[in-house]
Amino acid sequence: MPLLLRQIAAPDVPMEADNITPDRLTGQGAADVERLALMHGSESRSIGDFFSATGSYDGIIDLQGDDLKRVKFIGAGMSRGTIRVEGDVGEHLGAGMGGGEILVNGNATDWVGPEMSGGRIEIHGNAGHLTGSAYRGASVGMTGGEIMVHGNVRNETGNAMRGGLIAIGGNSGDFTGVNMLSGSIFVLGELGIRTGAGMKRGSIISMKDAPLLPTFSYSCTYRPGYMTLYLLHLSRVFAIAEEYLQGSYKRYCGDSVELNRGEILLYAG
Amino acid sequence: MSENVKVVENATCTFCGCVCDDMILTVDMDEKRITKSKNACILGKAWFAEHYIEEDAPVAMIDNRPVSMEEAVEEAARTLVNARFPITYGLSDTTCEAQRQAVAITDTIRGNIDTTTSVCHGPSGIALQGVGESTMTLGEVKNRADLVIYWGGNPAESHPRHFGRYAVTAKGMFTPRGKKDRHVVLVDVRRTPSAPAASQFIQVKPGKDFEVLWALRALVKNRRIDPDIEEETGVSLETMEELVERMKNCRYGVLFFGMGLTMTRGRHFNSGALLALATDLNEYTHFVAKPVRGHGNVTGADNVMSWQTGYPFGVNFSRGFPRFNPGEFTTVDLLAKRDVDAALIVATDPASNFPQAAIDHLANIPVVCLDTKATLTSKLAHVAFRTSTYGINTAGTVYRMDDVPITLRKAFDSPFPNDEEILTAIRKRVRELVLARGQARGATGVSRAAAPLQ
Repeated sequence: MPLLLRQIAAPDVPMEADNITPDRLTGQGAADVERLALMHGSESRSIGDFFSATGSYDGIIDLQGDDLKRVKFIGAGMSRGTIRVEGDVGEHLGAGMGGGEILVNGNATDWVGPEMSGGRIEIHGNAGHLTGSAYRGASVGMTGGEIMVHGNVRNETGNAMRGGLIAIGGNSGDFTGVNMLSGSIFVLGELGIRTGAGMKRGSIISMKDAPLLPTFSYSCTYRPGYMTLYLLHLSRVFAIAEEYLQGSYKRYCGDSVELNRGEILLYAG
Repeated sequence: MSENVKVVENATCTFCGCVCDDMILTVDMDEKRITKSKNACILGKAWFAEHYIEEDAPVAMIDNRPVSMEEAVEEAARTLVNARFPITYGLSDTTCEAQRQAVAITDTIRGNIDTTTSVCHGPSGIALQGVGESTMTLGEVKNRADLVIYWGGNPAESHPRHFGRYAVTAKGMFTPRGKKDRHVVLVDVRRTPSAPAASQFIQVKPGKDFEVLWALRALVKNRRIDPDIEEETGVSLETMEELVERMKNCRYGVLFFGMGLTMTRGRHFNSGALLALATDLNEYTHFVAKPVRGHGNVTGADNVMSWQTGYPFGVNFSRGFPRFNPGEFTTVDLLAKRDVDAALIVATDPASNFPQAAIDHLANIPVVCLDTKATLTSKLAHVAFRTSTYGINTAGTVYRMDDVPITLRKAFDSPFPNDEEILTAIRKRVRELVLARGQARGATGVSRAAAPLQ
């Protein structure tokens, strides 16, 4: 039986709930879970002040509530298990996670999976800025795992990403894959401007044409072998049109102010 | 004009980030007004001429009712200590001594502190951390720079003495003929009143600064750029190549940049691209970059915040230690998301210049406000203090835009206390209240209690 955390009180100020992870809740009964701490602004409160816990943790945490937008750091640092969220969540979802799975049936906001190294995050709505990115001042962002967003994302998706997969069903904002070191970003909708600025290596793929920086140059139009494998993997989550599987892609290499070993692939028909 | 006149030499103008320290002020001591400000620019003259003290204004008010200073300090301290997510904001038009007290208050109440940097050169602060900064003082520019590039700023109107004192007509050790020894380039989206001072004006299409900077970086690194760049950016490849040659071959180059870069689409990446260009050029010659800062002591705010918390703006103490995250801990974002439950506003007027969603929330929470005059923010404040003006009635330290500290000399006294005195009183009371709350729960040091203070 999963552990159900149901919101009973809305936070007045931002809440940091980094104890809501499978790693902290393993072996805890519902009463023990309610005694665990969370930060409500600057005051230390307990999970039970804001959530009622029922059941016991068996690998799955169900988190439900009408006002989870102010709840930050859900699943931060988790290494195993599953968190299922019903509702919109706050910043830093799955920050630095190394394993396990977070499923959100709602929207997320800025910093989804920053600096994560493994595991999986799936958002059924939209996400905000800096999905799978580095924190300010860090030179390396996401290093592994995968983030799937069904809706749109905003700017700096995959900032300084060094590994793993980010797939966006809708559109992305500006500076997608900025300062990217390696890894793969798929945007099935439209890319914003300045995609891949400062990227060293890595692949950014979009199914729509996009404006590119002057430091990206056209290489060729071809059918990359790995594209079919990746798209078949994505087709478990997204609706992938048959022509994308069979189609050709225009390859642009850049960023020439850096190593020029990154690539942007745009579907060519 | 009365006979009772005082002349103050080497006074400092704190209106803008130039912090010119060669003012000669004539003060009418009976009228308590500055009648003449020699050496000041048009902005400085207005700053001094329009300064007057409303002597009959109350020193402090609670809900617009005059109260004693002690009463107001007590109420301010209780308001801040009772909050779960209090913010401190402003700080760019006060002394470093006052800024220190504001950081200490925020640390003690585990609040969030941010300065007006977050709405002007905050993106440059993010870029500095990511890219680094090849820096200098304005004295070096005066004495050495033979190539000066202004990007996205209009100093003729915003910093009128920047040209004459430091960067264009100033005569220095290796630039004895002033402007004749320099090539001055202005890059902007429109021809501003600064253009006549420049040797060359380059007009960029609005929102295309990043593309131009990125292409210049590529050219500095001998990468190929397609000639169709002109169609996109409005700047021809030929112009860019000529500028790159000039930059590579100068003896000492400087890039000054303004809010045309930091507050347009791309923000910190625009600043970052310019800083990276300066870094790239150091392969060939000496090249530096510097943001042209607005408020008199906004640079001091960055410096004080950095040496006290480790970060220049957007710092949060909720968990007892400083965390930096612009976008999350910056004031406009916090207010617009209605995450804040009390505010300490020092020497700024967010109610007049913030987005409406942020102002709406500010009107719904208790605000403690310190300002030299009545403002929209002081009118909606729960506790409002009237303070003396720094640089005119208050001495102290401010930082010029090139991070050089300058000591202020006051011209005459004000009946009102200064920011430092009020903030020190609030800090002491806040500390007592937090300690008392901790001890009530059995703690021995400064600690947190779950229940709000009664």
